[in-house]
Amino acid sequence: MQYALLAYSPPEETDRAARPIPGGLAALLDRPDVTGWARLHADESATTLRNDEGTTLLTDGPFIDSKEYLAGLILIEADNLDGALATAEELLRETRPGTAIEVRPIINGRLRGA
Amino acid sequence: MALDAVFRDQWGRVLATLVGILGDIELAEEAAAEAFAIAAERWPREGEPSNPTGWLVTAARNRAIDHLRRQQVLTEKTKLLARDIEAGPQPPEALMDDAAAIPDERLELIFTCCHPALALDAQVALTLRALGGLSTDEIALAFLVPFETMSKRLTRAKHKIRHAGIPFAVPPDHQLPDRLAAVLAVVYLIFNQGWGGGRVDLAAEAIHLGRALAGLMPDEPEALALLALMLLHDARKAARVRDGRVVPLDDQDRTLWVKGQIEEGRALLRRAMARGRTGPYLVQAAIADLHLQQPRDWPQIAALYGTLARQTRSAIVEMNRAVAVAEIDGPEAGLAVLDRLDLGHYRYFHSTRAELLRRAGRGGDAHDAYRKALDLARTEPEQRFLADRVAETAPATRTEPL
Repeated sequence: MQYALLAYSPPEETDRAARPIPGGLAALLDRPDVTGWARLHADESATTLRNDEGTTLLTDGPFIDSKEYLAGLILIEADNLDGALATAEELLRETRPGTAIEVRPIINGRLRGA
Repeated sequence: MALDAVFRDQWGRVLATLVGILGDIELAEEAAAEAFAIAAERWPREGEPSNPTGWLVTAARNRAIDHLRRQQVLTEKTKLLARDIEAGPQPPEALMDDAAAIPDERLELIFTCCHPALALDAQVALTLRALGGLSTDEIALAFLVPFETMSKRLTRAKHKIRHAGIPFAVPPDHQLPDRLAAVLAVVYLIFNQGWGGGRVDLAAEAIHLGRALAGLMPDEPEALALLALMLLHDARKAARVRDGRVVPLDDQDRTLWVKGQIEEGRALLRRAMARGRTGPYLVQAAIADLHLQQPRDWPQIAALYGTLARQTRSAIVEMNRAVAVAEIDGPEAGLAVLDRLDLGHYRYFHSTRAELLRRAGRGGDAHDAYRKALDLARTEPEQRFLADRVAETAPATRTEPL
C-alpha cells in the first residue's frame, strides 16, 4: 500500500531553506520504499485559495493556522499500516523535538520526479 | 446448548475465519450475519450440524461469493475466493468434514480490533462486536450512548481498518508486549464497565473474551493473570450489594462467593506465576487473591501494591496501598499516604479517605469527605451506602447548654 506521511514541525528561529537535510534523514529518504518526498518552505510563504461558492478567495498564510506547520510530505510504500508506522517512526527520530507525523493511506495519485 | 449460546460462541470464530478469507471486516460481518440467519432458520428444523463452525463458515463464504459476483469487485485480496467462485457455491455440508482444519484466527482479529491506531472507544466497541458477538444495539445500551453514535463509531473503525491497512495479524515478537498490553487493557476496561451492573452483562462478556485469550495464548502469563483477576473479582459479585447498598469486603456474606470461580482463578494465577515473569495483571490477581483470604495478609498486600505502583505509576494504586498501610500502621499513616496524592476528581479517593478519617476518630472531616464521595458517586448502590455513612457521621445537634 501507499502512504503519505505529513510532517508537522514546531516553529523555528533559523531559515529552514538555508539548512541542509540532516544526514540521518537524507539516508532514510534515499531508501527504495520512499517513493517521493517534498520539503516545504515555512508557512509564512503559504498562500491559500478557497472555493467560496464558486468565487475564489485568496488569503495570505496557511489554511490551518496552528503553531506547528506542514513542513514536508513523504510518500512511502508499505505492506500495511504497521509497516508505514514503523517507517514514520524511523523518520520521526531524525526530526526536531515537537515534530509530528500524520500517516495517511493514499487512494491513488502520481508523482513526477522532482 | 441453546441456539443463542451456540451462536454467541461461534460468532468470533466464524467472523475471524471470514476476515482471513475475505480480507475485509465489513464484508465478513455481513456474510456472517446472513449465515447465522440461515442457520437460525434451518437448524431447529434440520438439527444442528456436527461441525457448526464449518457449516457457518461455508454458508457465509457462499453468501460472500454471491455478493462479490453481484458487485464485481473482485480484488487481488480475494484470490482464494476467486477459485471458489469458478467452482460456484458449495453446500455447507461439503466443508464439514475438513472443518476441523479451519484455523482459529480470533487472535488475529482481536489484535486488529485493538490496534492502537484506533481510538480506545472504537477498540472497545469493535472487540465486543467482532469477538463478543454483541449487537450494535447491545453495545450502545451498555455504554449508554445512542444507537446512531455507536453505529457510526463501529462503521468508522471498520473503514479505517480497511483504508489505512490495519493488518489482520498477530504482531511480531518485538511489538507483542505493547500490543498485547493494549488488548488486555480493552478486555479489562470492558470488565470494569460491567462491574457497575448495567443492562448488558459486560463483566461476563469480558470474562468470555479473557477465556478466549487465555486459551489462545496459554504461555502468556499476563493473559492468564487477567482472566484470573476477573474471575476472582467476579466471584464476589452476588455478595457485593445487599439491600440496594454496596457492602464492604469485610462485611460480605462469604457463602455468596462463587467457590468454583475462585478455585479456577487461583489455578490460573498459579499457572501464570509458574511462567516466572511478572506484570501488572499478575500482581493485581495476586492482590485480589490475598483479599479473599481471612485474615488478610496486609503487609504482603501493601508490598504488592508498592510493586504495582512502581510498574504502573498509578496514583489509584498508591491510594489502595494507603488502605493497606492504614491496616498495618493505623489510619493516620494511611492518611499521610493519601495526602500526597492528587486524586480529588476520583470518587473512590474521597470514600477511602472518609473511611480512614472515621477510623481515626475525625468525624467532622470524615463527614465532609463522605459528602464529596456522595457527590461523585455514579451508581445507586454506592449512593445509598454513602448516604448512610454521611448520616452516621453527621455532627450531633447540640443539646448541651451554651
